[in-house]
Amino acid sequence: MTDILRAIDLSKRFRKTVVLDHLNMSVPEHSVYGLVGPNGAGKTTTIKILMNARQPTEGLTEVFGHDSRKLSPEDFTQIGYVSENQQMPDWMTVEYFMNYLRPFYPGWDAARAENLLRQFELPPDRKIRNLSHGMRMKAALASSLAYRPRLIVLDEPFTGLDALVRDELIEGVLGCADGATILISSHDLSEVESFASHIGYLDRGRLQFSEEMTSLVDRFREIEITLANPSQSSISWPATWLNTEQSAAVVRFVDTQFDPERTIAEVHHLFGNTHQISVNPMPLRAIFVTLAKAGRRAA
Amino acid sequence: MRQVLHIFKKDVRHLWFEIAVAMTVVAAFTFTGARRALWLVDPATNRIAAWTLVMILLPLAWWTLIARVIHDEVLPGDSQFWITRPYSWRSLVGAKALFILAFISLPMLLADGVIVRAYGFPLEGELSGLLWSQVLLAIVFVLPIAALSALTTGFVQLIFAILTPCVIALGVAIVAPELVLGGFLGGSDWVKTYYVFLLISVAASGILVWQYSMRRTAAARSLAVAAGILAVLGMTLIPWSAAFRIQSWLSKRRVDQSLVRVDFDSGSRWLTRAVIEGDDRVRVELPVNITGLPAGMIAKPEGFSVHLQAPDGAMWQADQLPLRIASKMGHKFSLEATVDGAFYRRVKDEPLKVRGSLYMTLLGNRRTVRVPFGDRFVHVPRVGVCSASGGANRQSYFLICSSAFRFPPVLVSYRFIESAKEAVQDVWSSSEPRRAISYSPFPAELGISPVSQDFTFSTVPLPLSEAMVDTVEPLAHIRRNLEIDNLRLGDFEVRPAPVSP
Repeated sequence: MTDILRAIDLSKRFRKTVVLDHLNMSVPEHSVYGLVGPNGAGKTTTIKILMNARQPTEGLTEVFGHDSRKLSPEDFTQIGYVSENQQMPDWMTVEYFMNYLRPFYPGWDAARAENLLRQFELPPDRKIRNLSHGMRMKAALASSLAYRPRLIVLDEPFTGLDALVRDELIEGVLGCADGATILISSHDLSEVESFASHIGYLDRGRLQFSEEMTSLVDRFREIEITLANPSQSSISWPATWLNTEQSAAVVRFVDTQFDPERTIAEVHHLFGNTHQISVNPMPLRAIFVTLAKAGRRAA
Repeated sequence: MRQVLHIFKKDVRHLWFEIAVAMTVVAAFTFTGARRALWLVDPATNRIAAWTLVMILLPLAWWTLIARVIHDEVLPGDSQFWITRPYSWRSLVGAKALFILAFISLPMLLADGVIVRAYGFPLEGELSGLLWSQVLLAIVFVLPIAALSALTTGFVQLIFAILTPCVIALGVAIVAPELVLGGFLGGSDWVKTYYVFLLISVAASGILVWQYSMRRTAAARSLAVAAGILAVLGMTLIPWSAAFRIQSWLSKRRVDQSLVRVDFDSGSRWLTRAVIEGDDRVRVELPVNITGLPAGMIAKPEGFSVHLQAPDGAMWQADQLPLRIASKMGHKFSLEATVDGAFYRRVKDEPLKVRGSLYMTLLGNRRTVRVPFGDRFVHVPRVGVCSASGGANRQSYFLICSSAFRFPPVLVSYRFIESAKEAVQDVWSSSEPRRAISYSPFPAELGISPVSQDFTFSTVPLPLSEAMVDTVEPLAHIRRNLEIDNLRLGDFEVRPAPVSP
């Protein structure tokens, strides 16, 4: 699968503050990539650099296989970008805004634009400045989906929206995606976990992991061991085990590279005989909490 | 081009109110400017106030329009919707330039044309001035504000960006005016002005292209600050001798000046003075004689540079600009140079070597044009149009000369003539040329009003018949060196008499 977006050794500093620290990331074509992480993790900065709205301090980003600093107007005819804090031309009405953008895009589909306005229940004659936040996001999204972009980039699109509007937006995006690659950033995993095919977790400017959702869920397990011969000697924990806890006879940890045979073999190697090993699959939220905690501990 | 027009149409739709205001001000400018030709002799306060108000409002209307149209697609920042849309930066610049041309430059071109025509100037003869004045207006009134707008996100930031350097310049101007404006270079002052114009054009265009193509605001802001500093340094540091060299190089030499010489006037040696002045300075006056001028020509000294060297090698250099002339008789001048008091005290009884350079303009081709009293305009070549009128009870007489787009490139003086005498007799004449002269080779000077005027009057209680306008034309700008040996300044020392209480 070709990568539509790539960040190669990307760093961004604002004076002494490091926002992105040698970030490497790729978004495969036709994927729905959820870039998640806490506030201030560097998600928006990454996206702005990808969109050539900001300049990197070091490293490179690529869109459609070429340097994003050289994104041309033709490239932007294939990109739909919506951001929570985007400044819109407030004086325009929704209809004028759509009509104004239309000549910029050779692939503008007037029927689809009309459908989107109807679907999002956008009042055509209302000025953008008079729209609610949710309506503004819908207008931005409608104007970014009407030309069937190859790449849809959504930066924190659901922030401040109620559940109903959020669902409407998701429905709108997925309904019009037509196989487009979607990059969506969010600080809330639950906003993207239902439809993302790939997930990247960014924390303090570093990508902690980036992979397909299915493989991520497969490789994380919460493991609890009841020891047959409790011992107090210090143990050198494998690097792939996180959140390790040990009481007299019970050991708990999260294995980030779970493989039934290898994990059990490692347990026996470290602890000898065991009374019981319980292996539990983890919900996505628990995986993120584990990673976030581990990341903070490491920092 | 399609995108240029598309963005342009959007800007017109959005800024129709600002456009309407600007067009109203331009219309008021045209009306009052054209009417001004008629009421100058009898100026009423309210008309002058209206004209002044329009002259203030016009640049404000332009600046508002420029700022609004550029801020419609704000350049600094990363959150504007348009930066992730398929805008071509060239189309965006093109649309903004088209807007400024359509609603600032073109209306001003038409307004200036109407005003100049109302003054009686033939439009076809003033075409180069008309076009060049639009270029200058664009350089000074449009480009800097466009560049600053491209570096700011809104009106408040823009006003701050305009006011900050103004406040700094005002502060420096109060403390040390010469640091902000430098010295006035007389007819060659345009050299300094055009240096600033060139700097503004290059810096502002560079900032605009850079911002629109790359949006590197921090770097572009640094460029703006550097250009401001270079402008001030240039105004302060361009030596007048360099300005005269440029002037001399650019001027067509239309006269044989090979025989022209400047020498110390030893026959008038007694005119030499070393006047002790306050604050530890000595004013040295040196009589010089200019000889070898072709027939019918006069020399106008412009600047004087002098080195005084003592036998032990101690040296003092004085650059005198503006040139001060202690006395003048025909082609004999007594030139002044200021010398440091300490240097003077040390060398005053020693034989000094004096090496000087006098920069001067040779003027000739004297012409006189009669301007009869009456309301009609008389075309005065190289000046513009003049009209003369007799006031109430034939006791006061007026002469007004208007020049389009620039000061006359000639020296102008005026006379009134008494009608009763058979022979023409001057009853009043200006002893010195009346109007400021500019040696600029360009057809226009910077100014919002396309017409500059000079006004003179006579209250001699005699029946006057007409006025006369005399002009002489600069034909060459030259430099001549002079040398004086063994000059003991102490022999010519003069102490000003104490002022009695």
